[in-house]
Amino acid sequence: MSSGTLLYDALGPRAGRRVRWFGVVTGAVTLGVLFLVGEKLATEGQLSADKWGPLIDPANPRFSTLWSFLAGGMLNTLIVAVLAIVCAMAFGTAMALLRVTSQPWYRWFVVSVIELLRGIPVVLLIFFLARVLPEIGIEFSTLTFLVMGLALYNGVVIAEIIRGGLQALPRGQKEAAQSLGLSSWHTLRLVLLPQAFRMMLPALIGQLIVVVKETSLGFILSYEELLRRGQIAIQSLHNPLQMFFTIAVIYIVINLGLTLLTRRLERGARKKAPGTPADDKTPAAPLPSPAALPEVRV
Amino acid sequence: MTLFSKGAERTVDTFPAPRGDGETATEQAAALIQLRGVNKHFGPLHVLKDIDLDVAEGEVVVVIGPSGSGKSTLCRAINRLETVDSGTIELGGVPLAVEGKSLASHRADVGMVFQSFNLFAHMTVLENVTLGPIRVRKVPPAKARAQAMELLERVGVGQQAPKLPAQLSGGQQQRVAIARSLAMQPRVLLFDEPTSALDPEMVNEVLDVMTDLAQEGMTMVVVTHEMGFARKAADRVVFMADGAIVEQASPAEFFDNPRTSRAQDFLSKVLSH
Amino acid sequence: MDVILDNFDLFWQGWLRTIQICFFALLGAVPLGILLAAARVSPVPSLRTLAGGWVTVLMSCPLTVVLFFMAFGLPEIGIKGSYFWFGTIGLALYSASFVCEALRSGINAVPTGQAEAARSIGLSFMPSLGLVILPQALRSSLPPLTNAIIYLIKNSAIVGAFGVGHDLFAVADTLTAARGLAALPVLAGVIAGYLLLVLPIGRLLSLIETKVAILR
Ligand SMILES: Nc1ncnc2c1ncn2[C@@H]1O[C@H](COP(=O)(O)OP(=O)(O)O)[C@@H](O)[C@H]1O
Ligand SMILES: [Mg+2]
Repeated sequence: MSSGTLLYDALGPRAGRRVRWFGVVTGAVTLGVLFLVGEKLATEGQLSADKWGPLIDPANPRFSTLWSFLAGGMLNTLIVAVLAIVCAMAFGTAMALLRVTSQPWYRWFVVSVIELLRGIPVVLLIFFLARVLPEIGIEFSTLTFLVMGLALYNGVVIAEIIRGGLQALPRGQKEAAQSLGLSSWHTLRLVLLPQAFRMMLPALIGQLIVVVKETSLGFILSYEELLRRGQIAIQSLHNPLQMFFTIAVIYIVINLGLTLLTRRLERGARKKAPGTPADDKTPAAPLPSPAALPEVRV
Repeated sequence: MTLFSKGAERTVDTFPAPRGDGETATEQAAALIQLRGVNKHFGPLHVLKDIDLDVAEGEVVVVIGPSGSGKSTLCRAINRLETVDSGTIELGGVPLAVEGKSLASHRADVGMVFQSFNLFAHMTVLENVTLGPIRVRKVPPAKARAQAMELLERVGVGQQAPKLPAQLSGGQQQRVAIARSLAMQPRVLLFDEPTSALDPEMVNEVLDVMTDLAQEGMTMVVVTHEMGFARKAADRVVFMADGAIVEQASPAEFFDNPRTSRAQDFLSKVLSH
Repeated sequence: MDVILDNFDLFWQGWLRTIQICFFALLGAVPLGILLAAARVSPVPSLRTLAGGWVTVLMSCPLTVVLFFMAFGLPEIGIKGSYFWFGTIGLALYSASFVCEALRSGINAVPTGQAEAARSIGLSFMPSLGLVILPQALRSSLPPLTNAIIYLIKNSAIVGAFGVGHDLFAVADTLTAARGLAALPVLAGVIAGYLLLVLPIGRLLSLIETKVAILR
């Protein structure tokens, strides 16, 4: 609304000069640091075609083998991520419903399970499943253990997201549905849940980003997702710096794509949200208060 | 009893001249606020068009006009909460500072009351009122508290001093906000639709305080839709439309014989029931 | 139960080691997060872009990749160190982004009107920041900040899994893999160790939260 921001006034000429000066210094320092890093990399022989070739030079004999190997890893990563998020959604919705519909006498149990699963480091949860289940005779593939761990952990997070969405719905929604004679289960399933999902869609996609990152925990089970395959390739290519850099870039690109998607959905959701007033900057002129009126004769 | 002490602790040259009994302020006093050729754009939107405005010492100017006509922007420009693109704004003959300490001290002399109160949410009512005097005017805390209590009593919220703003009604919050501005012993008070966010039954408690202030000779610029207040308390009504000042006159003249068709049109809409 | 009692010393040492990792990581993450947040809300465009880019990159990169990059990439250019420090510093760098975003969301939660009112009574930049905006911003930051801290503690297990040695996670690995003890009691003990850190800290911080929450 104002030309200043929350933190500082609109810049005057002196402040403007200071800001430009700071900008120049920042730029110079950044360039300097980049230069030093580049030089260090060069003197340590880290910019050589030997190290980078397999990753960036299509003419390199190992290029296509390496990339089809890494692409397989990427595919494995995506398989885990998709399976995990789908299972997590199902489990999360179930837990959310269980929690909001639970009777007091067993609600504490549902809440404890959710709190417990939220408090355990996810890497430990995966490890726990992979070590303890075989001990009691339940054998699964590493993929299954990984998906189970991710789904359990992210499921309770999603359960809390959905519960938040349900609580944020206007009271009137529930009352309107019930006044139509819908049973409480139908009210939940037909009226409340769909709205909560729509409202929470950005948060749910945000959780997908978390899941994509957590697939890399597959390394403790030696599941061959992207990171693990990169590790394997390093053993023959001897280029850890370049390899991990490239893998980091791949993760960042995937997750930035998802972030952009979230932003777009958020904007869409805000536009369509029920009950939000049109973004008119100035409130309509209110009528003069009755007490003030009688004095004026026109 | 007066609501504010007229700059009792400041030097004579910044002392607001009290309005004498016989004279009217508009005729005699030099302009305390002076705007000349002020223009302001929001992107392609021309929100202030060549505004010239004088407000004399002790004068009460009410600004009215349709929504979106630039009233808030005008009000906020006098405090540099909005920058302007061209033109000059002077307070007591001194051009409005653009930044730093001098801008801060300019703002200390110009009180502002907002539509949404804007009381500091993490401070008690008393702390809200004493913050400025202690930090800006360097008044000793004990004295600042005593003065603040006096002001709060006078606007009728003395009982609320230890509470947090959120525990007060809208009308009470707005009266605290007025007390907070008065505590700075400002030379002029700006009001931007001070009653628009209030429930109808609370409007009058705020308007009463403002009317008292006006009668005691405080210089005021008031953006409002309260026509009763304008008629009763204003020395002059300024009518704005589409970013320009279309008409200005005494309240009696303006309400009884609006000259421009825009003003007639506006009044017929606002006063039609 | 016997497994835990028999190896209590090992568990205890592992727990202390985990606390060490978390402590040092927090010691790095909080000041760095504050600096990043300050840069992200500063009026200097290049600083904003730089800090924003840094935060985005570290938030979209798995902690594991950050850790591998540090522990196996950096020695290639002659930067040597122990896994403990690589892991802890990696965790600190990673968590700083979350601290930054928690602080920034707190700042964004303060209505602009609060700043305008502060300016209107003549407070200049530093006093309005220090007396009006930051006190409110910090209180609103507490919930996300709590989450960031708990996230850091849980992520310290990844630092352990990656081989810092002798922390709680390593205890789990040593006892089950190397000594072949039953996994269930060992892992239950290790999980209890983490919960003993996470739950009280969460409780404490949410207690403080309700104490300082701002009514609007
Ligand atoms: N920060 C802003 N950015 C863009 N347009 C604005 C901004 N503030 C106000 N406006 C526009 O400027 C015009 C004048 O606004 P304002 O001064 O608030 O009018 P009034 O107070 O008379 O209703 C309106 O059309 C409004 O939409
Ligand atoms: Mg307005």
